[in-house]
Amino acid sequence: MPFFKTPFNGYSVKFSPFYESRLAVATAQNFGILGNGRLHVLDLSPTAPTLSNLVSFDTADGVYDLSWSESHDSLLIAAIADGSVKIYDTALPPTANPIRSLHEHTREVHSTDYNPTRRDSFLTASWDDTIKLWTVDRPTSVRTFKEHAYCVYNAAWNPRHSDVFCSASGDCTLRIWDVREAGSTMIIPAHEFEILACDWNKYDDCVIASASVDKSIKLWDVRNYRVPIAVLNGHGYAVRRVKFSPHRRNLLASCSYDMTVCLWDFMVEDALVARYDHHTEFAVGVDMSVLVEGLLASTGWDELVYVWQQGMDPRAVVLAFEQTSGKGKKLGDSYLCGMYSCKLEMNAIRWNRAMYGSALRCSWKLSINLFVVGHPFDV
Amino acid sequence: MATQSPASPNTTAENPPTSATEIVQPKNEVQQHSQAEAPKPISEPSVFKNSEPLREDQVQNAVKFLSHPKVRGSPVIYRRSFLEKKGLTKEEIDEAFRRVPDPSPSAQATTTTTNQDGQVKSSSNIQPLAPTQALQPAAAAPTGAISPGGTLWRSRFHWYHAVFAVGLLAVSGAGTAVLIKNTFVPRLKSWIRKVVLEDENDILKKTDAKPSLAEEAAAAAKAAAAAAADVAKASQEMLNSKNNEKRYFEEFMNLLDVQVQEMKSMSNSIRKLEGQTNYSGRASIASQEDHRISMTNVKQQYANGKTDFDSRSVRSSSPPAPVEPSIAPHPKSYMEIMAMVQRGEKPSNIRDINDQPPNPNQQLSNPRLAPRAKAQNGSSHVPQSEVSAEGLNYMVQDDGVNNQLENESAVPWWQRKNVRISEIENENELKAGPNEAAEAIRRPKPSVQKEQLAGGDRSVSHPSDVTDELQRITKISETGNAEEINGGAQC
Repeated sequence: MPFFKTPFNGYSVKFSPFYESRLAVATAQNFGILGNGRLHVLDLSPTAPTLSNLVSFDTADGVYDLSWSESHDSLLIAAIADGSVKIYDTALPPTANPIRSLHEHTREVHSTDYNPTRRDSFLTASWDDTIKLWTVDRPTSVRTFKEHAYCVYNAAWNPRHSDVFCSASGDCTLRIWDVREAGSTMIIPAHEFEILACDWNKYDDCVIASASVDKSIKLWDVRNYRVPIAVLNGHGYAVRRVKFSPHRRNLLASCSYDMTVCLWDFMVEDALVARYDHHTEFAVGVDMSVLVEGLLASTGWDELVYVWQQGMDPRAVVLAFEQTSGKGKKLGDSYLCGMYSCKLEMNAIRWNRAMYGSALRCSWKLSINLFVVGHPFDV
Repeated sequence: MATQSPASPNTTAENPPTSATEIVQPKNEVQQHSQAEAPKPISEPSVFKNSEPLREDQVQNAVKFLSHPKVRGSPVIYRRSFLEKKGLTKEEIDEAFRRVPDPSPSAQATTTTTNQDGQVKSSSNIQPLAPTQALQPAAAAPTGAISPGGTLWRSRFHWYHAVFAVGLLAVSGAGTAVLIKNTFVPRLKSWIRKVVLEDENDILKKTDAKPSLAEEAAAAAKAAAAAAADVAKASQEMLNSKNNEKRYFEEFMNLLDVQVQEMKSMSNSIRKLEGQTNYSGRASIASQEDHRISMTNVKQQYANGKTDFDSRSVRSSSPPAPVEPSIAPHPKSYMEIMAMVQRGEKPSNIRDINDQPPNPNQQLSNPRLAPRAKAQNGSSHVPQSEVSAEGLNYMVQDDGVNNQLENESAVPWWQRKNVRISEIENENELKAGPNEAAEAIRRPKPSVQKEQLAGGDRSVSHPSDVTDELQRITKISETGNAEEINGGAQC
């Protein structure tokens, strides 16, 4: 499964809603404490399991989050740690970017989300306790929502109701807002500790998931919000991000400071469906692709971005053999050494596509590019 | 979009090439109508609002809380935040605020301009501990009757400690005094008795034997000496114990002084932190996340059992109690960088980057694709029109097929074409059998192209319209006119 090494610590990863093979990663230097940032736009090669950098944009301060525009296939919104919100157009040359820099927040902007139904506006949530509503063409925010008593860590639009969104804050409450109303319409005291993320269920527009520092994820039905409909325990440390699957009603993905990415089915008694522990530092970003079912991406402070199909091992090693030497050359980190040279003698290795889902072309005579994908300890 | 539907947005028949967005929007309207608890054409109660009536008991508790003198001194935002955390709805909180005469000018949290900076909050509390205390006193203070100004708590602690120490000393002093008295007085008495007896003996024996007078005098002197020695010993003991007490007291005072020094230094370092620029604020925010966890553990011990509210019990009866958070072990270099930043040093790998837009009025490039259909909109249990569902499914399939055609090899490796045991349901949308694929290829391609044109036109021609509409909606919300909103909102 492909991975990409970013020069800075990863903070967020999002798939493009227009191209199945495209995703963007927000990174920040020095763990986001102090330093520059970079926004990468990566492309998945369809033939080989590799991630390549299409374009990257440097910023003066760390990029904490990003979101793709839903109306424009090349626009990106970046949430910057110096309080600004920058808009990038990947179709324009890097020298013409960013096309906008909106500076209204007084503290770090921690999250941004683009409206998937109305497609014309986006939200930014900041540590200055406010959430701002913007449109791409206006230089100033359309609205500011100021009610939280502490940093707002995440804001997410409802996938069906174009005017409703929820926000998660360090004041331990979830708030539901309607842009047609003056203030929040619902306050859910979801956890006893800071809430780091929230997301709506894509198939039931009244179900929200909230992820907190108390290591749990709680699911709430807004029609009966005093008691959660499920509590998902299993992470060892604070849960940083939570994302509902766009393809399965009951499935959600979460990433945590315990370096794992977990998949949950909240309607089942034993909710944990899968646990991926491929990161070696805090896993801070996770996304599930809208266009490709089961495709997951995650990033962490270990400066790696992984993209994998649900059910596979994200760390499955990719080995590329050079044609002349016939010796193996490893791409990126791997735990194997020298064990694969003897396998070269085999002819026409065909991998069961059903097992690994990857296309493999090889002819052992030419051996130009032989990709062997598999679990490191199986090869 | 605003211009197209002055009347009901449900009439989409007029726009055949409209994309999924148009279909999705009226679908939203349909869903909203169907989901509203009491569907009325004018103002449907939104599912995202609280429709419960005011709970009088909660309001009473809130009023009691707000009337507490110590709570009066805290900023309004903390009072609101505390009540929200207790589970009160906005209406109940507003009602409680209304009932309690509030001397402060801005009772509404929305208009509060209290400085939201974490460090400033702490300085307003004169909290010598880490700024993490700033938030938690808001929660713990009213519940635990610990004032928001932690100084009182802290000085009471000193006080209490000092009072306790003094009391201990007094008691021990009194005890030793009593003890000494008990040992001294009998000795004194016995000595007196001895002397008296000897006196008597003297008087008796005086007549008897004069030469024994000297002996008796000597004996008396000896006894006196012995008594004096006893007295001296006793007084020595008393002195020693007093010295010990003094020493203990001194040590104790020293310990207290040391603690005070430590706290002073901590408060100094915090003030130093406040004085620094933004980035160190971020450092303390990050450490706050950790610290608040440990601090709240401590605070909770004080808070529990001093609260008036019972609502906490409602929530705690739900499935397994949340696990106590623990601070995740940070990578070593993270701690190094944090330490550097807190000392005021800048890490060396930072470059000066100018990330300002070179042309602030840069035009957006023309979009190449129209917004794509998503599975989540196409396959759900909510009733939709037949046409739209099919159209969406075809488009999704088409994309998969297009990819097939583009690559000479099979479908891109990340597409899941196999049937997995556990996940079968939504495969149907993505899988394309040969016949379906052929049809899919032939049919939706023109529609995709049309979509592109339509999408291109739509997105390029009236960008300002869209934002005007959005602005109108939000402006309307601020003036509070519900009817117009519902008419104009769903487009």
